[in-house]
Amino acid sequence: MAMTVKGCEHFEEFKEDASNMETLKWIHSVFVIGSPPKHKQIKICNSFCHTCRNQGPYIHACLECVYFGCHEHIREHTQNQVHNFSLELNYGQLHCTSCNDYIYDTELDNIATKNRMQCKKFHQRLFQCTSWDPTEEERELLANQTKKVCITPETTIGLRGLMNLGSTCFMNCIIQALMHTPLLRDYFLTEQHYCKYVQGTCLVCEIVKLFQEFYNGDETPLALHNLLHLIWTQATYLNGNRQHDAHEFFMAVLGLMHKHYSESVSHPTKINAHSNAANCSCIIHQIFLGGLQSDVVCQNCNGVSTTTDPTLDFALELGSVTEGGRSPCSLIDCLESFTKAEHLGTEKIMCENCGSKQESTKQLTIKTLPIVTTFHLKRFSHSDAGIKISTAISFPEIIDMTPFMSKRKEEKPFPADNRYSLFAVINHSGDSANRGHYVAFIRQHYDYWYKCNDDIITPVTLKEVLASEGYILFYHKQVLDYE
Amino acid sequence: MPQEYDSRVHTHLDVNNGLERVTELVHTRLVESGWRDQVRLACRRAIAENGNSNIPTVDELISTVTPKARTLVPDAVKRELLHEIELILSNLEKTGYAKSFDDS
Repeated sequence: MAMTVKGCEHFEEFKEDASNMETLKWIHSVFVIGSPPKHKQIKICNSFCHTCRNQGPYIHACLECVYFGCHEHIREHTQNQVHNFSLELNYGQLHCTSCNDYIYDTELDNIATKNRMQCKKFHQRLFQCTSWDPTEEERELLANQTKKVCITPETTIGLRGLMNLGSTCFMNCIIQALMHTPLLRDYFLTEQHYCKYVQGTCLVCEIVKLFQEFYNGDETPLALHNLLHLIWTQATYLNGNRQHDAHEFFMAVLGLMHKHYSESVSHPTKINAHSNAANCSCIIHQIFLGGLQSDVVCQNCNGVSTTTDPTLDFALELGSVTEGGRSPCSLIDCLESFTKAEHLGTEKIMCENCGSKQESTKQLTIKTLPIVTTFHLKRFSHSDAGIKISTAISFPEIIDMTPFMSKRKEEKPFPADNRYSLFAVINHSGDSANRGHYVAFIRQHYDYWYKCNDDIITPVTLKEVLASEGYILFYHKQVLDYE
Repeated sequence: MPQEYDSRVHTHLDVNNGLERVTELVHTRLVESGWRDQVRLACRRAIAENGNSNIPTVDELISTVTPKARTLVPDAVKRELLHEIELILSNLEKTGYAKSFDDS
């Protein structure tokens, strides 16, 4: 089935000697892949040009003697010594001196693939040059798929208005934000969900359907009656025709999706063991779950007791006045007061360290950041009959979360990249939680912003988005790490 | 002295996976910014220019395309790389350099 490529007659000859191939295999695994650590050490200590002692460019290893050389010197070496083959160590390409060029050979590819798969870490450079052989089924699918969509700034694919079914804008705006969460979109459009539920009762399936509707190119507004019905039956407190809190709905959707996911996965026992823990494998927890660390410090002995709690969002107070005597006016301010050490007052807390009741301070820091970080600005106080705090809070397009993270005991030599970029904003207009209207701003095609007001979608500028009041802010991690 | 510093930097970069991290980062950025596609196009063009009779070897291709490819690297990528390296080097100043090979 797969295409076979023969390198050149010189390589065919080379292949006849099995020990040659063993050498090639070993050099590839140690000097190209460089894993496990033992091999990596050998690689680092030896990968320099034996002539000019530089580490580059393009270090090659001679396959016929122990010689390493940079681009210039390896060519000199193989010419002078009449050694035919050398292996490039960055990408693992084989050079044939007789042909005066790199050669491509299926057998060599197989060695490379096998070694690559044994590598524990992901390296882009190693996967860069792999080719894709479509299977019979994939070929057929490709042949049948004649419709082509070219994505330009003008394309509206992915944008769908949502009908207001009587005060359901709290639902519409959250759905818009979820539909435009890049990682969630990629997950659902690649059909990763396998369901065991009775048809029509699984929220995840409903979301899968919605993603298909959003990205099939249609433009007519959708009515989310199925989804609404599902939510009504599963989260009864969101019942009825009155206005609900968008944040409450958001939490309910995440909770239900997590529940339905973990119950419909094929290994229920395995999942249930983790269903409450932070290491749940469901897509919702993988994307949205972070961890808050709370340190209680005893004022007497400075003993610290630390606890970590999982959290799906970061709820930020707006009402409290900061130390300087001013109210917070930006997201950074809010986060600063959120992670500030706070005196717990005269109430004394049992300190495990010195064994007595002492006055203490408590400090919250962010232990782990989720891939999608949501900030919930607490504009509605639930005590004062849902009175809204309309303080203007500015928020940036890109935020670096590093200052708000927990300090680790042993600092890593290189700080992780904790930059996040804004991709959705939920706004509330009106004066209380039970009235008013919700509107979502969402980002599409990297840099284009749209205002989703139920079934009306209009393009807006980033400036307008940043100038809006802000109720729930959605940030997406800019650089994704591989685990 | 500069020679010694040079080798210290090299060791630091290798031992702490710094070089690997930076390479990976630049790699990602170059793909994201469309640089790779531009270079790929330049390579195709260079091959097509020679006609069917005289297909250049990879080495020839490298020597013709490299100067152009260098100028195509977006400034933002260069700045970010510079920043990353500065970070790593300031770390070197602070901690000296690790001697152990840790693959964590």
